[in-house]
Order: sequence, then C-alpha cells, then structure tokens
Amino acid sequence: MTTAAAPALLEDTQLSSRAGGLYRHQNIVTGLIGGIGLGAIGWALSHQFLQGSNWGTDMVVTVTMAGWVIGLLLGIGAFNAPVLWMLGHDQTHEDELYLAGVGQGPRRYWKFCTDHKVVGVQYLIAVFTIFGVGGTLAMMIRTQLVSAHSSFLGANAYNAIVSVHGMAMIVATIIMVTGPFGNFIVPIMVGAKDMAFPRLNALSFWLLFAAVPPLLATFVLGGVDAGWTTYAPLSVQAPPAMDAFAITILTFAVSVTLSGINIIVTVLTMRAEGMTLNRLPIFTWGAVIGSALGLYAMPAFMVGMVMMITDRVTGTSFFVAAVGGSGWLWENIFWIMGHPEVYVILIPPVAAMLEVVSTFARKPIFAYKVTVGAFIAIIALSIMVWAHHMFTTGWAPDLNGPFMLTTELISIPTGIIFLCVIGTLWRGSIWTRLPMYWAYLFLWNFIIGGVTGIYLSDVPADNYFHGDMFVTAHFHYTLLGGAMIAAVAAFCYWFPKVSGRMLNERIGKVAFWMVAIGIQITYFGMFWEGFEGMPRRVAYYDPIFLHANQMATVGAYLLMAGFVVLLYAIIHSWVHGRPAPANPWHAKSLEWMVPTPVPLENFLVEPVVTADPYGYGEPEPAAPAAEPEREPVPVGSAETTAGEPV
Amino acid sequence: MTTTTIEHGGTLEPEGDGHGVVEGGGHHETRAQRHLKERIALWLLVGGDALFLLLELFTWFYLRALNTNGMWRGAACTKANACTDGLGNPITSEIPKAGITYTLVIAALTVVAALLVWWAEVSAQRQSPRRIISAGAGFALLTVLVAVVVQCYQFGQLPFTTIDGAYASSFIFFMGTTLAHLGLLVFILTGLWVRARRGKYDGGHWFQVGIIRFFTAWCAIVTCVLAATVILFA
Amino acid sequence: MSSDLAVKTREPDPLPPEKAPFFSRPSGKIFLIWLAMTVVGVLIGFYAPHHLLPTMLSVEGRAVWATVVLLTVLAAPVAAFVYGVGFYSLVAWRQRGYGQSDEPPPDGPPLRGNSGLTILWLVVSGVLVVVMLVWGLAELASENATHPNSLQVDVTGQQWLWTFSYPGAGNLETRSLVLPDNRTIVFHVTSEDVTHGFWPVELGVQVDANPNVVTTIQATTNKLGAFTVRCSQLCGLYHSFMYASGAVVTPQAFAVWLHAHGASALTASDVARVSSSS
Repeated sequence: MTTAAAPALLEDTQLSSRAGGLYRHQNIVTGLIGGIGLGAIGWALSHQFLQGSNWGTDMVVTVTMAGWVIGLLLGIGAFNAPVLWMLGHDQTHEDELYLAGVGQGPRRYWKFCTDHKVVGVQYLIAVFTIFGVGGTLAMMIRTQLVSAHSSFLGANAYNAIVSVHGMAMIVATIIMVTGPFGNFIVPIMVGAKDMAFPRLNALSFWLLFAAVPPLLATFVLGGVDAGWTTYAPLSVQAPPAMDAFAITILTFAVSVTLSGINIIVTVLTMRAEGMTLNRLPIFTWGAVIGSALGLYAMPAFMVGMVMMITDRVTGTSFFVAAVGGSGWLWENIFWIMGHPEVYVILIPPVAAMLEVVSTFARKPIFAYKVTVGAFIAIIALSIMVWAHHMFTTGWAPDLNGPFMLTTELISIPTGIIFLCVIGTLWRGSIWTRLPMYWAYLFLWNFIIGGVTGIYLSDVPADNYFHGDMFVTAHFHYTLLGGAMIAAVAAFCYWFPKVSGRMLNERIGKVAFWMVAIGIQITYFGMFWEGFEGMPRRVAYYDPIFLHANQMATVGAYLLMAGFVVLLYAIIHSWVHGRPAPANPWHAKSLEWMVPTPVPLENFLVEPVVTADPYGYGEPEPAAPAAEPEREPVPVGSAETTAGEPV
Repeated sequence: MTTTTIEHGGTLEPEGDGHGVVEGGGHHETRAQRHLKERIALWLLVGGDALFLLLELFTWFYLRALNTNGMWRGAACTKANACTDGLGNPITSEIPKAGITYTLVIAALTVVAALLVWWAEVSAQRQSPRRIISAGAGFALLTVLVAVVVQCYQFGQLPFTTIDGAYASSFIFFMGTTLAHLGLLVFILTGLWVRARRGKYDGGHWFQVGIIRFFTAWCAIVTCVLAATVILFA
Repeated sequence: MSSDLAVKTREPDPLPPEKAPFFSRPSGKIFLIWLAMTVVGVLIGFYAPHHLLPTMLSVEGRAVWATVVLLTVLAAPVAAFVYGVGFYSLVAWRQRGYGQSDEPPPDGPPLRGNSGLTILWLVVSGVLVVVMLVWGLAELASENATHPNSLQVDVTGQQWLWTFSYPGAGNLETRSLVLPDNRTIVFHVTSEDVTHGFWPVELGVQVDANPNVVTTIQATTNKLGAFTVRCSQLCGLYHSFMYASGAVVTPQAFAVWLHAHGASALTASDVARVSSSS
C-alpha cells in the first residue's frame, strides 16, 4: 500500500496488557454487582440502626437507593480516575486509549467508555428503553380510561402509573436528542475529536443508567401517588416509593448538569479552525442553548428534592404547613425548574429538525442569526414565566398579571422558529425523504400545541382549564407532537451515520402515517375531554366524558402501533439495512464529511472550515470542509493539505 | 498546522495537570486550550451551585415571610396556646435562635482555607513550588477539617432539631450545605497536598492550583452568605 | 463526494408574465389556501367552544367562552399562514422522482433571509400579543373587582370530599353547593390536609385549597342550573371521586333553602327540587 512510514489507524493501536488498569475488569456486570451490593449493605446497615426511628422506612429506602447509585458507579469504574488523581497518580495515554475503547470491539458498549460515539449509542439505547417503559405505562392509562369506571387498574396502581409515566417521559424527552446526538454528532459537527471531558461524558451516561431502576422500584415500594410533579404536602405523606423517586431525580439532575457542561465547553473551546460562531450549524446552537438552560433548571430540581427528602426522613417542615412550611414553596421551586425544563426538552430537537429542513429543502437556514437569537430569547424569557403553572394556586394573585405578560411574550420568539421553517421551505427543492415527513408533522403539531398554550396563558381562561385534560392535551401536543416528532426526524436523519445503514423508508412511512393520525385522534380527544371539564389524573370519570375518552384511547392504540412499526423498521434496518454511504443526504456539515463508520477521534486530518454548512445554491467550488478518502496518505505527499479536495 | 500522520502512544509528562500532553489523532490539544476548558467548566459548575444557593435563600426568606401557622420560630406559641412540632409534641414557647459563634467560626475558617490556597498559588511563583503548595494545601486541609469538626459540633449544640419548625429546618439545611461543600474541599485539598508532595507541580505549571483556589474561594463565599443570612435574618 | 462539488441549482422558477393575475403566483395561491383555512379556523372558533364547553352559569364562565372564541379567531390566520406555506411547498416545490433516489434534487435558491419580512413578522406577533394581553388584563381586573352585597361561602376540601358553609347564615354546613342567581359569590377556600383544587366547573373559576391558609376566588352567577364541583389537583387515592353537586337557584329559592335546612346536609332530592323551581 504505502511506505513503511504509513501510519496505522488510531483504533488499531496495540495496547499493552496493562493498559487501562482496573478498567480492564470493570463493565456493566461489575457495575450491577457494585450497585446491588452497596445497596444491600446500605439496606442492612440502615435497617439495623435506623429502622426504629420515626421515619425509619423512608431512611432505609433512601440509603438503599443512594447505595445503589454509588455502588453502580464504583463498580463501573467511574471513581477510578478521581481517586487516582487524589493519590497523585495519573492515567497514562495508553489508559486513555483503553478507556476510549481501543482493542475491545463491541464489548466497549458495555463498559465505561469515553468515546463520544459509544456514549451516543449507549444513550440511544437508553432513550428507546425509557420511551418503551413510558409508552407501555401510557397504554395502561388509556386502557383504563376507555370506560368510565374500569376495573383494569385500582386507584393506587393508576396513580403510581401516572407518576412514573410522567417522570419516565420527562427523563426520556430531556435526553432524547442531547444524549444520542449531542454526544455522537456535535463533536464531529464542530470539528473536534471528542467531547471536552470524555470521562465526564461516560459518567453522565452511567448516572442516567443508575437513575432508572429506583424509578421503576417505586412500583414495589407503595407507588408514588402524587404525579410526576409530586406536589407537597401530598408527596411528603407518600409511601417510601417517593424516596426512591427523589433519588432518581437527584441522580438524573447531576447527569444532565454534567452533560450540559460538557456540551457547552466542547462547542466553546474545541471548534476546528475556521469554525466561527457564525458558521456553527444550528443544531449545535440548539444543543448549547438547551444545555445552558438545563444548567439553570437542574439545580432547582435538586434543591426541591433535597428538601423533600429531609421532610420525609428527618421531619423538617419545608412543605408541612402546620409546622411553618408551605406547599407553595414546593410549587415555586418546582416550576422554577419545570418551565425552563420544557424548553430544555424542546430546543435541541427543534434545532436538529431545522438541519433536516435545510437539507431536504436544499436551501440555507432562513434568518439564521435571528433564529439563534430567538432560541436565546426563549430561554431568557422561560426563566421568567414559571408561575403561569400557579395561576390558580392563590399564592400571589397580584403576580398573575405580570406572569401572563411574560408568558405571552414567549410566543414572539417561538413564532420566529416558524418563520425560519417556512422561510427555509419557501421556493425550496423539497426532497421528500423520511426525515422530512417528520419535519412537516412537527409543523402541523406544534402550531396546535403552541396556540393551545396561548389559551392557558390567559389567566381567566386558565381559571377554567387548569388541572383538566386540556392542559394534558396541550403539553402532549408540544412535547410529543412537537419535540419528540422533531427528535424522530433527527433520528432518521442521522441514522445512516450512527448505524452505517439506511433506514427502510417504506416501513418508516407506514409508521409515519399511523403516528401522525394517531396523534391527532388521541389528543383532539383529550382537548374534547378538557373542554367538557374532565380533571387530570383521574382513574374513574363522570360518564359524560365517555365518548371523548374512547376517541383518545383509540387514537392512542393507533399511535402506539405506529411507534412499534417504527421500532421494527429501526431494528430491521440496523441489522439488515443497505449499507449507507458517508453522506447519503449530500449535506454539508462536518459530520457528513467523515467516513461511515466514523473513525476514533473522527478526523484523520484536522479540517479547516471555510464556510457555513448551508451553502445550497451558492456558487462554491467545494464543500465547506473536506477530508481525503479514508486511506491515510504518507507524509509529504502532494495530496496531504487538509481543507482542499483531493 | 495540519498533520497527516496519526500519532499515538505518546509519552507521559510528569506534570501536575495529570494529562499526557499528546492526545493522539490529528489534534494536539495545547495546555492553554485545556486550561480554558477547565476554567469555563468550573464557571458553569459554580453557576449551577450559585443557583442552588439562591434557591436556598429563597426558601429561607419565603418561609420567613409566610410564617405559616406562626411556625417560623413559633413566636406566638405559649403554654396556653401550644403549637405542635413535626412529631405532634407541643411547643410552648418561641424556638430560640441558634448562637452565632460557631457559624462565624466556620465561615472564618473557610475564608482562611481559601486564603491559604491563594497564598500557595501566589508564593509558589517565587519559591520552591513543592514546599509552598504542599504547605498551603496541607494547612488549608487542616483548617477545613477543623471547620468540619466545628460544624458537626454545632449540630449537636443546637437548641432545636429538625422537627421544630421552618426556621429550624432551614438552618439545618444551611448547615448541611456548608458541610457538603467542606466535604468536597477535604477531597480536593487532600489531592492537592498529595500531588504537591509528589512533585506534580514542580514543572512550573500550577494551573490546577489556581482552579482549586477558585473553588475554595467559592466555598468560602457560600459559607459566608449562608452565615450572614442566619445571623442577620433569624 | 464529487457530486457536491458541482453545484446544480434547479432551473429558476418561471417568472410570471408582467400582468399575471395574483392568484397564479405562489403568494396568490398561498393566499387562497390561507383564506380557506382561516375561514375554517374561525368557524371552528365559533362552533367548538359553544358545543364542547358546558353551559356556563356565571359571568366568568361566559368570559371563558368569549376568550376561547377570540383567541381561536386570532390564532386562525396565523396558523393558516404557516400551514398554507407548508402545504403549498409540498404542492408546488416538491421534487418528484427523488423519493427513492440517492441523488438529491438540484439545490434551491440561496435565500438566507429577508429582514423586511422578519421585522414584519415580529411586529405582527407583537401586536397580537398586545391585543391578547389587553384582553386578558381587562378580564382579570373585572374578575378581581370587589362587589357590594357579595355572598361569602367557606369551602373546605379534605381527602376526599368538599364541605361548604355559609357564614352569613349561621354557618350552615352542607355537602352540596347551592347558590343564588345574579349574585357575586366570594369563596374562601382551605384544606384540612393536602392541596386540593376547588373547581366549580360551570362557574368557570377555580382556586387551590391549601392547608393552613385561606385562598379566595369569586364568581358572579347569571344563569340558573345545576353544576358540578370537581377537584382539579391530584390529592391522593380517591382524587377521582372528589366531587360535589351544586346548583344556581333563584334568590327566593335560595332563601327558602337556607331557612329550611338549618345545619343539616342537603340531600340529592333537595337539590333537584331547588334547581327545578327555577
């Protein structure tokens, strides 16, 4: 092939048999052993010494769940590096290569692996799993509600299912784009070799992994009967399941915080030469802006849960009115988190979807700078609107007017997003491949979701609609119909790069129509329920709501079937699909310029960026940045200058 | 600037920051780039912690203003008109305020620890870094350990417990926050001391000391803000 | 890769003749779609709330209906515009024959923005927000205004039932909420345990019931009929069953009812009787 000086690929490096140290022996199995082991030890010790106190069972559950989380992280090797640091040792370069998965083949997906592409796929599997759990619970809810007094679920089981459905979906939607694609795609998109803090990246994933079992454990600990919003004082009185729920949230909040820091620092400091902020793909902006807002929201989530735990485990009275606390304290702190959090959910998928719209309309992003400004305006405003969830609480009636103002103001930058989409579509060359189908569905759904939000922002109208199914329909339209559909668009778009295969579009389009129609039927049924006055979170309802509920349940079954068909398409294609070329969509951002599968550290030659990735229709002689073919070329050869075509 | 060969298996340099300089692949990360990353990350982390702190303060002032059922400190509880605590026991007089001495001492110790690390970073430029940094880190660590002991002792000396109303709950929450920050500092300063003694900072690069100085200073700020709140607005 | 290097823009859209009728241009066709969808939206605005909302028995309830109609009518042209462009893009600019193709269609024109349009968009959305805000604030002010001769009703929520008492009538306590017509009712709401949501549905108002505090909401009745009080805040195991019946009756019937029922709870037949005497 070449002379003896030809370099090998990084992932083919032969490491010594001691590279990685303790990590060589650590994987998900040792993690589970550590988690179950330390959880059991925690259970035994707390049961022995704390059970007799006034809050014994809650203490035991809290300690056990905390032991699970710490034990899992210990077993998977997350603490190896910090402990080494404290003892004055450092990881060698060989250790770092081992951590990046060199020499381990598929086994690296089961370990603490710092390669951002591995972490991205791990997140992807986690997202599918959590959506599967949340979706199954949703079907149980809708099955219960198909008749006015069903005997399918008891009242406590229903409440427990509603709570876990909500929390699982919140977890899944927060990470559904920043997890898989914030990790896999963003570093490549900015021309970096990995994330800023690869070990922190792996830690974020394994924290997420640790957070899920306590959430599921709530079902066997008495069930959380207070919804995912766990209003106090009901939640202070809830069974020990609530302690497990709190541990889930604390763990998850740390995961999201670390992941957010990682994304922001990566984009700020590791961009390739020539990648100015003006040339940054809009998805990267969305990931950074969404993560920044997450950094604001997650500490609030943690404050609330810490106080919840102390109220339940030590008898403090943050939320117990008789002893000086207030349910309004909980509600304020929760919604200070809870409203920004929906934009943490929304912005990354929408930004990813804008990439899809641009690529499949073969046109630049319309009003790029204004759109970025709109994202920033949305997150700035979103921290000032939280009490629109509290219009009817009676906590501060004089503040209802100001919060109505700030809430209605958010519709202005949100409107700019629509301008960007339709401006990009205007006179475009619409290429109707599967990702673009989902982008159009987003457009349809998000208008409905956004408009119905405006009804709720009007205080007198909210005085009717608060706490009824209209609210549920509104946020499902925006979060599922909007954010999740945009995430599916992003998934179909990047599937060839992540999996190396093309997604079967025929089956995908069948799934698309089932999902699209299912959404309309389900949630218009729910709007109907809300107009008629059906409260939220009820297991049994007045028979006057029957027809609306039947409509919603029928729609839900269609919707679920559509997702199952999509899942089938994904699995079938991942295993048997046509191998994908490096750039099947002929897009222009950097992730499409690298080969598929993407090599370790992404770029064989550091790219130099000369234009933004939206040069469709513009007379450029070359793609914005290019990389030679995968065969590395010898030093000194004429074809070795990066940034210019071979 | 561009590299066409892929480098791997580079050498480890014994430098305090703890990374092999050669990162492999087509990219070389300079020390300045790494420092920028760590600095931004720390600002973001401190930002999140600041929000946590702000919401704790919100909790304090909101519950104090609401004074639900009069049970912030139970000013209206009397023998005739007893209030109840978190376990249903009667409270017949106002909950006493915690003494300010321990609070002030802990805050002062944390400030001293921060100053010691700052001194270590600054003086190391003029004299032997190994001795200065390990001395500064070691004494700062000792100071923080003393603060931890004082904080635990204060907990035992409080004239109230967690069940005695909103003031008591918030005060103890603040103590827990202080303790958490002190605990983190114990870990970090231990590492700094050990690494200094092993010569990790001999090479003239003590950016990591600066990072730790930043974080120690932030912990001092947190402790002082919490102390001021409980002393001035009991 | 090489196909990316030679940029193929598609043939420019044929320019319409100088005096082309408006409706043969893209903007004209989109206008037609927009018009049709706006009409549909406005019709939905006038039909759906009227038929889907329950019959409201108060001024505030009627204001809810009016607000929903107004907001739907205001939103219809905005939604129709976005939908119009979206649909039209699929009709006019969709590139046929590329659905299964690995080669993309030729690029579209490099339109990166239009500051005039952006500013117009911002101005229009700003105006719409101001209109909604003025409407909402006016409504809020009128709902918060104090009225003379209002009827005070104490509402107590607990797991899982509502109790109503009339302090002006010797603290008569009932499980059904009977109210006189054409009167402003001021509800003072509290809870015995956890947070509940006091929601007399057809009165179009609600407020949470919190322990150890009293919250207030008022409604001015203006129509006779029966209504239901539901709980709008998840409050535990039997949240689904936490409802009470209510009725707006004539002032005379209300006076009779107060006088006749002392401190005993109202039965269902009593409620039926007073509400049918309207």
